[in-house]
Amino acid sequence: MQWIGLDLEDINREEQTIKIEYNPNRPDFSSPEGIARALQGYYEVKLGVPTFDIQLGEVVLNVDPSVKKVRPYIVCGIIRNIDLDEEEVATLMNIQEHLHWAVGRDRKKVAIGVHDLDKVKPPYRYTAVKPDSVSFTPLHGDGYPMNLEEILLLHDKGIEYAHILEGKEVYPIIFDDNNEVLSFPPVINGVLTTVTDETKNLFLDLTGTDFNAVNLALNILSTTLSDMGAKIESVTVNYEGEKEIVTPNLDSTKWQVEIDFINSYLGLKLTPSDMIKCFQKVRIDAKESKRKGFLDIYIPAFRGDIMHPVDLTEEVAIGYGYFNIPKTIREGCIGEYHPVQVFSDKIRTIMIGAGYLEVINFILSSSEKQYTLMSQKFNESKLIQIANPVSKEYNTTRTTILPNLMDTIRFNRSEEKPIRIFEVGDVVVLAPKEETGAKREIHLSAVSYHEDADFTEIRSTLDFIMTALGLYNEFEVKVGSNLSYINGRYGDIYFKGTKIGEIGEINPEVLLNFKLEFPVAALELNLEKVL
Amino acid sequence: MTIKLKKQVIEILSVLKKKKTEQIASLLANELNIDYIVLMAAVNDLIEYDLGGFKEEEINQISLNDEGRKYLEEGLPENQLLEIMRVSNAKEISMEDLLSKSKLDKHIFYIGLSNMRKNRWIAQSKATGENKIFLVTEKFPETDVEKFLKSFKAQPTRDYSKLSKSELIQYDLLNKRKLFTKQNKTQRSIFLTDKGKSIKMSDIKELKYISKITSEMLSSGTWRNYDLKPFDVSKSGPTLKAGKIHPLIRLINEIREVFISMGFTEIRGPIVESAFFNFDALFQPQDHPARELQDTFYLNNPKFAKLPEKDRVLAVKATHENGGDSKSLGWRYQWDENIAKQTVLRTHTTATTMRRLAQFYRTNDKTPVKVFCIDRVFRNEKLDKSHLAEFTQIEGIVIDENVNLSDLIGLLSEFYRKIGFKKIITRPGFFPYTEPSMEVSVYYDKLGEWLEMGGSGIFRPEVTYPWGIKDPTRVLAWGQGLERIAMLYYDRQDMRDLYINPIKWLRQQPY
Repeated sequence: MQWIGLDLEDINREEQTIKIEYNPNRPDFSSPEGIARALQGYYEVKLGVPTFDIQLGEVVLNVDPSVKKVRPYIVCGIIRNIDLDEEEVATLMNIQEHLHWAVGRDRKKVAIGVHDLDKVKPPYRYTAVKPDSVSFTPLHGDGYPMNLEEILLLHDKGIEYAHILEGKEVYPIIFDDNNEVLSFPPVINGVLTTVTDETKNLFLDLTGTDFNAVNLALNILSTTLSDMGAKIESVTVNYEGEKEIVTPNLDSTKWQVEIDFINSYLGLKLTPSDMIKCFQKVRIDAKESKRKGFLDIYIPAFRGDIMHPVDLTEEVAIGYGYFNIPKTIREGCIGEYHPVQVFSDKIRTIMIGAGYLEVINFILSSSEKQYTLMSQKFNESKLIQIANPVSKEYNTTRTTILPNLMDTIRFNRSEEKPIRIFEVGDVVVLAPKEETGAKREIHLSAVSYHEDADFTEIRSTLDFIMTALGLYNEFEVKVGSNLSYINGRYGDIYFKGTKIGEIGEINPEVLLNFKLEFPVAALELNLEKVL
Repeated sequence: MTIKLKKQVIEILSVLKKKKTEQIASLLANELNIDYIVLMAAVNDLIEYDLGGFKEEEINQISLNDEGRKYLEEGLPENQLLEIMRVSNAKEISMEDLLSKSKLDKHIFYIGLSNMRKNRWIAQSKATGENKIFLVTEKFPETDVEKFLKSFKAQPTRDYSKLSKSELIQYDLLNKRKLFTKQNKTQRSIFLTDKGKSIKMSDIKELKYISKITSEMLSSGTWRNYDLKPFDVSKSGPTLKAGKIHPLIRLINEIREVFISMGFTEIRGPIVESAFFNFDALFQPQDHPARELQDTFYLNNPKFAKLPEKDRVLAVKATHENGGDSKSLGWRYQWDENIAKQTVLRTHTTATTMRRLAQFYRTNDKTPVKVFCIDRVFRNEKLDKSHLAEFTQIEGIVIDENVNLSDLIGLLSEFYRKIGFKKIITRPGFFPYTEPSMEVSVYYDKLGEWLEMGGSGIFRPEVTYPWGIKDPTRVLAWGQGLERIAMLYYDRQDMRDLYINPIKWLRQQPY
């Protein structure tokens, strides 16, 4: 499994089932049939593009141009001679759900309707109507007719998907020749065409906003049903006044790719025939092109993930086997540390020497911890604001590290004292001139927590740091005031005339906010200014 | 040869030398009026120099209980009664009189009376109708029982096994009257060895202990007169509250060194990032689920970022819409500039990598370029033991001509080998901005298991072409979360532990 890009999640030996995780680029892996196709190739049971019989059908669906405003695309298909037991009906629903998720972006891009063909009369009509002009009995409803507006307001699925139709004047709908409603895409089908284990023939409608996506979903669905043993029959979709198309269209897509390009990308030296074999193993057809050095490639219609020749290189790699790809080493380049990190490490060395233990905290923070608990006033508009926080705990970024250290001490307050900790890390502040409106700054904060912690102790620490940085003669501490600190035991730290930090004894109110029992002496420096 | 001993040990040694015989430790301690523990500590010192020793034996110690000690003071009840009669010079006395004069408990009174009879001191008669007691002898020698009792005056505790036959009889008599407590005890006897007996006191010098040397002692030389008190070197000292680097930072620095040794240069980029660099430049379609609110932190303030130079924005727009000049089909939808201006907390360091590609374009760099980034990223996730809203990502890229998947596997093997994983395996994976893509697993010896580590791949042309990086120049990339490695390194089961700073753990965690 892993060699074709699947993840084995779980094996249940009792029920003889395995659970597989597939990547979103391969929605064709949403059914056991799709996975079987890939494995047949990998184990060389069947090679190249799988073939599917498709019969030209007579059923027509007319598309009224009014749908352009709301949900422009529809493709259809008919599946005959199905013989579904309960389990297979469930599988069908399951694939539908997966496709809604993987291709359909939760029905926004593609929505799938599966109907009992024999309950309705062709030709069908896809059109757009005023929300209150049509009523029908929806599936999973209370069994009586509702108009489209009512469905969006009252029906479970209506409530869930109403956002897709928000602001639209008309809503999409599919009628049969007797004006019976098949479906109100992307919301709900009519109860009339409910699929049961009695159903013999299916009508599939796929509507959406992306023509390629609706086709891909139809192709995956119909090929899967075909692999289950049913017969595919085409439907003529007539975009009135524009074009007529026949769907599903299961023709392979043709690409041309240069052999040297693939070899160069993978670091291999495959011959054309080796490479063709690799393609065939991933159920892609390939043959030598008339153009010298190129291969003609045919991609099955259920693959929607090939958009560039590099996608084909991956197919060759899978066919070749990732484990067979050699390892090569290239020399060159001289590495260099980032100056900010080098400086941070220097600060760490200094702080360790001063006897401080390093801690690390999140940059994410809350305005409560940053300001309220620190007895600071704040203005919401001056803060980085997260639009969609998971919890109140993270609604902004920190602008100082000190509150994190206070919190760290609170968490460790029963540990052996003295507790002396520091952190070197980033804070993020608004900076309207910057490209992204904000900037990160590297800060140092240090706190000492014990019975005798006082200004003198932390001042000695500051002096030690500045001396170690060779800046002892270029800084000064000036009397200042700060709500987080004790008046008279606080100073602003200046370096070459600009304020670069704060130092002092923490205000007892703040100590109590953090549930502390001893004094805290603290400092915080903006290192950007001394870098 | 002289031996140095503490003053008290010397004193005890001289006492023992005088006594010449074995001494019961508890008795000797009493005699010398010192604490038993102090005595035994001194004996230990003697043992150390092979001067003395002690032996232990189990003994049954007997001693008087409260009632017994009372009788030792006041006499046995029979003696007390006899005394009453003798003091009043009465040859006869009525029972009632004797009882009331004795002030004894009635029960005890009868025990006394019965013993007087047994001693043949009295006779009883009811002939007069009154219950009378007559003294029948004039001599009252000290009884054996009394003698035995009185022996406890000098020796409050006696060794049961050392009682003589006649004493045993008396003991039994008194024991029946519940006057004793009996205790099993280990008795230590101290003795001197031959060396101890023969050593001359003049060969023994006093040991003068001090706990520390003062500067004065050093300069004056008086330190020579003292001995430094030894420490119990086997005992741990109090915890040193020293400074240490955080384990995660140490790991980051180790990995940084690995990158540097492989020729990579460290880069650093914004934390508040534009959707343009975080998503669009990476060819993530604007309706991609990863861009949704439940995965990404969007910001209200600052709300929008500036986009880079117009022509590059148009180039990115074109790749989304029709592949631009990258020969791709593109996503075939209408790309919206306003969505790209949204600000986010970067969800991956690849946003910073993209900025390096932009710089490559702007400064017309020469290949090869090898850079790495180890930095914080943010995801709008509920916290649990394997998910954090903020974590650290490791990422490396190589921009070079004709680099290929084999080179990438070679790089990965080398990188993981250097951080301690000897075997790696890659398999097909999917990432929106790389093709081919590979999942990387490493073999972890300690668990004997393959562990999924990270992702890797070659940047899609749709990602690199807008920045002038065109085939055969390609970009190899790989990345993973730091915490996955940290949890293995530091044997943690909960990722949150790495960011909550338990100080005890930080203090104990080995480097």
